Amino acid sequence: MSRRRSLHLAIGLTLVLILAGAVVVSYFWLPFPPDDTSGGRLSPPGDGHLLGTDKLGRDLFTQLLLGGRIAFATGLGAVAVGGVLGVSLGLLAGFATRWLDDAAAVALDILIAFPTLLLAMIIVAGAGASLGTAILAIGIGMAAIVARLTRVLVKQVLSRDYITTARIAGVSWPGVVLSHVLPNIGPVLLVNLALQAGLAVLAEASLSYLGLGTPPPNASWGRMLFEAQATALTSPLAALAPGLALVALVIGFNLTADGLRDLTDPTRVSGPSRASRRRTLQSDSAHQPAPRADASHQPAPATGPSPESRPATEGPLAAPSSGTVATTDPFPGQVPPSSPGQVPPSDPPSGRT
Amino acid sequence: MKRLLMAAAAFGLAGVLAACGGGDSGSASGGGASATIQVGSVYEPQNLDNTAGGGQGVTEALNGNVYEGLFKLTDTGTVEPLLAQEQKVSDDGLTYTFTLRPGVKFHSGKALTSADVKASIERVTAENSKSARKSNLEVVQTITTPDASTVVVKLKQRSISFVYNLSYVWVVNAEAKDLTTTEDGTGPYRLGEWKRGSTLSLTKFDGYWGTAAKNAGVVFHYYSDATALNNALLTNAVDVVTSEQSPDALAQFDNNSAYKVNNGKSTTKLLLAFNDKVAPFNKVEVRQAVSSAIDDKKLLTSIWGDYGTPIGSMVPPSDPWYEDLTSVNAYDPAIAKQKLAAAGLPNGFTFTLDTPNYDPHPTAATFIKSELAKVGITVNINTITADEWYTKVYQKRDFQATMQEHVNDRDVVWYGDPGFYWGYSNPQVTAEINQAEQAKTTDEQTALLKKANRTIAEEAASDWLYLYPQIVVASSKLSGYPVNGLNAQFFAYDIVKN
Amino acid sequence: MPRYLVRRTAILLVSLVLAAVVLFVLLRLLPGDPVNALLPVGATPEQIEAARRELGTDVSLPVQFLRWLGDAFTLDLGRSLISTLPVGPEIAGRLPVTVPVTLAAFLLAVVIAVPVGALAAIRADRWYGPIINAVAQLGIAVPAFWIGVLLVTVFALRLQVLPAGGFPPDGWSQPGPAIEAIILPVVTVALVMSASLIRYVRAATLGVLGADYLRTARALGESSASAMWRHGLRNASVPVIAVLAVELATTFLGAVVVESVFALPGLGSLLVTGIRQHDYPVIQGVMLVSTAAVLLVGFLGDIAQRLIDPRLLQRGTS
Repeated sequence: MSRRRSLHLAIGLTLVLILAGAVVVSYFWLPFPPDDTSGGRLSPPGDGHLLGTDKLGRDLFTQLLLGGRIAFATGLGAVAVGGVLGVSLGLLAGFATRWLDDAAAVALDILIAFPTLLLAMIIVAGAGASLGTAILAIGIGMAAIVARLTRVLVKQVLSRDYITTARIAGVSWPGVVLSHVLPNIGPVLLVNLALQAGLAVLAEASLSYLGLGTPPPNASWGRMLFEAQATALTSPLAALAPGLALVALVIGFNLTADGLRDLTDPTRVSGPSRASRRRTLQSDSAHQPAPRADASHQPAPATGPSPESRPATEGPLAAPSSGTVATTDPFPGQVPPSSPGQVPPSDPPSGRT
Repeated sequence: MKRLLMAAAAFGLAGVLAACGGGDSGSASGGGASATIQVGSVYEPQNLDNTAGGGQGVTEALNGNVYEGLFKLTDTGTVEPLLAQEQKVSDDGLTYTFTLRPGVKFHSGKALTSADVKASIERVTAENSKSARKSNLEVVQTITTPDASTVVVKLKQRSISFVYNLSYVWVVNAEAKDLTTTEDGTGPYRLGEWKRGSTLSLTKFDGYWGTAAKNAGVVFHYYSDATALNNALLTNAVDVVTSEQSPDALAQFDNNSAYKVNNGKSTTKLLLAFNDKVAPFNKVEVRQAVSSAIDDKKLLTSIWGDYGTPIGSMVPPSDPWYEDLTSVNAYDPAIAKQKLAAAGLPNGFTFTLDTPNYDPHPTAATFIKSELAKVGITVNINTITADEWYTKVYQKRDFQATMQEHVNDRDVVWYGDPGFYWGYSNPQVTAEINQAEQAKTTDEQTALLKKANRTIAEEAASDWLYLYPQIVVASSKLSGYPVNGLNAQFFAYDIVKN
Repeated sequence: MPRYLVRRTAILLVSLVLAAVVLFVLLRLLPGDPVNALLPVGATPEQIEAARRELGTDVSLPVQFLRWLGDAFTLDLGRSLISTLPVGPEIAGRLPVTVPVTLAAFLLAVVIAVPVGALAAIRADRWYGPIINAVAQLGIAVPAFWIGVLLVTVFALRLQVLPAGGFPPDGWSQPGPAIEAIILPVVTVALVMSASLIRYVRAATLGVLGADYLRTARALGESSASAMWRHGLRNASVPVIAVLAVELATTFLGAVVVESVFALPGLGSLLVTGIRQHDYPVIQGVMLVSTAAVLLVGFLGDIAQRLIDPRLLQRGTS
């Protein structure tokens, strides 16, 4: 199991790094200038054109590399937007008074009912289709999911004894956040953000495919697939290459997330003190997504409910995480007990920031 | 998109309007007169009323098929009487007397009367009308109906295009209520059912006054993108595609005996439109330089392959005042550089090209950018939505240069309006175009417009990049379909399926 | 249960209203004045004012919102700016496409995923275990529209056994062509959905397999299959139902993109067209209906979970 997991991480990172490397290279060297149309309309591979040319005569491989820039910009940009917004909101909600927190939880549940892609579409409808809009829109959609995860995680951490101990020892709330909360929730967030990066790439591709993402002539992979559709029978490479690149990057992000989760998996961390601290964040059987029936966890997909979003994790780490479309947690103010034996304090310490 | 559409309606500009679509069906019916023709198109009507923003799709589906005018513009571009049996024009050219064809019935069963014609023309000129011909028909002063079969129209001034413009006016039952989802015309078909987003069916009208349709009915299938449309044709879900949007898929029909690719005459021009009022494009030399620096032929080839036609002015070959002006400001980078130097910009300049975000504009803009870079001109491509185009470019004139498709025939006259979005202003051209409209004979009109058009082309008021091809692809079993689709019409009544 | 039902229903209603608020605010925050769409070129101020009245944007935002919400509850979703036709019937006309596609795709995904996922867990040691995992991993990374394009190329264009897209004008009154028309879209959505479901089912099964009660049951002499059936299925089904509710909603939304590939006249293509044309009433209407459907599915999922496992109720009300 563990070996397979680290294999996941290795494969995932390799895929991401290869593609990232290609993107970095594209800033220093491209086979052809981006706007060079000298290749002739829809030429087959050869003559320096590794994958042939598109209908304008531009080198397809060059376009593919440029599309990689867009894919990474989307993945990382949306994660940055979603991460910063989501973690901030989640922290605020987690520390807020019970009443406010309830409200925040309901609001997040509702926001999550708007799938990332649809939310992005609305924003694009108003702001016009562009890469920036797409990144922002996807990031905002993601923020609700990240915020919800952060909130649940924060509440779990705050209910721990060592927080009380720290408070008694005179540590300020910001200090608690920095020294206890963030380090504890960080690994789980990281796993989720890696997944979200893959989903963001998929979402951007879908937007571009629908003509609502990066506008032409920029070579978004989704757009390239749309264009290549018309000539799929005659130039199959143009329809395959961007798709394969897209799949490779998304799998890369997903496997990296899988592997990272394994690294942060408490069951594999020896040393009682750390383990006991971490494990409280998660149900005690990290690889059982379906907690025993008497457990309170209701698994939710790790990923948002966007059409492209499919749960990409198996473990329960994902469980409290990301949003369920359905408000499976009907009493949002309450943190479900993280493992069967533990009864959460009925009123988690509600600090004010 | 809507606003552009209205611009299209009011001024003859077109966007490629993505209609949402669906369609399919077994075209299983038999051949001959019992056959139903399955037509594929990307232009779904917005609604069924051409004075309420129905768009290009409503013209395609209903013009000549469901609705008829006093006159009709045939697929070859001539104007023929249709519901008007006879017309008399007074010597001063201000009074037109039309006698209606007898025995014409609306689909609802009511007989056609002069009151219907009067009401129909007034629908177009009404205050809330969105008709493309509203401004043209504002020349009408009064309409009177001395008897049930006679209509007398008095004009404010001579208008040689009046009868031509009447070919766009649907004659509708004056008592019809809701024309946005139902119809009451006099054409050879009546509306069957319109499934929004998918299909619109027409069935043969048994009480038609003229020669009956040669098929039992027509179903228009609407697709939102060209690939789905071509796939429908390849899988026999449709028999004919009214207008191919890109050459990409044509290869699969070209060498296939089951299909016929028809290369018709088009009136749609792709323009690189300068803002002739602002620097640097207020200088004729600069506009000429840009025109000479772009290899239009190569652009056409890269977008349309072997299809389409280079064009040297706003006038397409089907207009009576066409002449070949492709040699004016033809491709020659050396001359472009000279002109730049003459304009005081030997090292080139930088401008922003507002580019609509739908095909073919972004691709063409990329091409233009690479061409102009060769003569030292830097292009910043600013991609905008159709909506932004309408507000920023068309309304506020806040642009240096832009791209747009202009679909209509006979639309060179907009260069006579200094208030039009491109701001071309040449008093002599304006005078010639106004005189042409008030000309007594078509020869006089043609001569004046030719003269004006030559000046417009020489001064490179815009850069006319190319004339779109008009490609109708049909199953080889089909005959009798229109191939030019002039002004987006698609007469279906002569189509026969064997 | 009744108490939970009341509470859950209240939450559903509050969520719906809040969703409407979010939707309304979001669309009003966006730049662009929808009134422009109604105006002819060179409109006079009077015309602009008249158009505002027609749109109802001449009053304050809260009033606008209450009006819109009130109308929405009476199923009046306003009129399209583009076609000037009412949005409600338009949406209703699209449901006979989107709903069957969603349900069929969902069922197919479940039919594929449950046995395959369970097999991958129960027989994790066999050669096909890792293969199922790898395929599922691949499946969640492939964009649905790409699968659609590939299926069209193979089954419609090359083999010519199924239509490439569209929906017959006669609709469901002639079920044959209608069913043919939705086969490829259904398969596309189902493939994508089953990839993620397989992972859940596999994980749920693994969880159950390792559970104490199964070991106990087996230790007490029950056969493995019987124990799995009597205890495992029920226990595994609770979390799976939660996931299924989410997945059903996701399937519904997955149709949005796939409808565009197959030129299906469903809700998704209506939304995409609305967005391209900046047709706010259409966008608002479709989003409201979709969100309501998503919330409703979540509601039903929660109820179903509690019917199967009443223990959740006790915890929930504690």
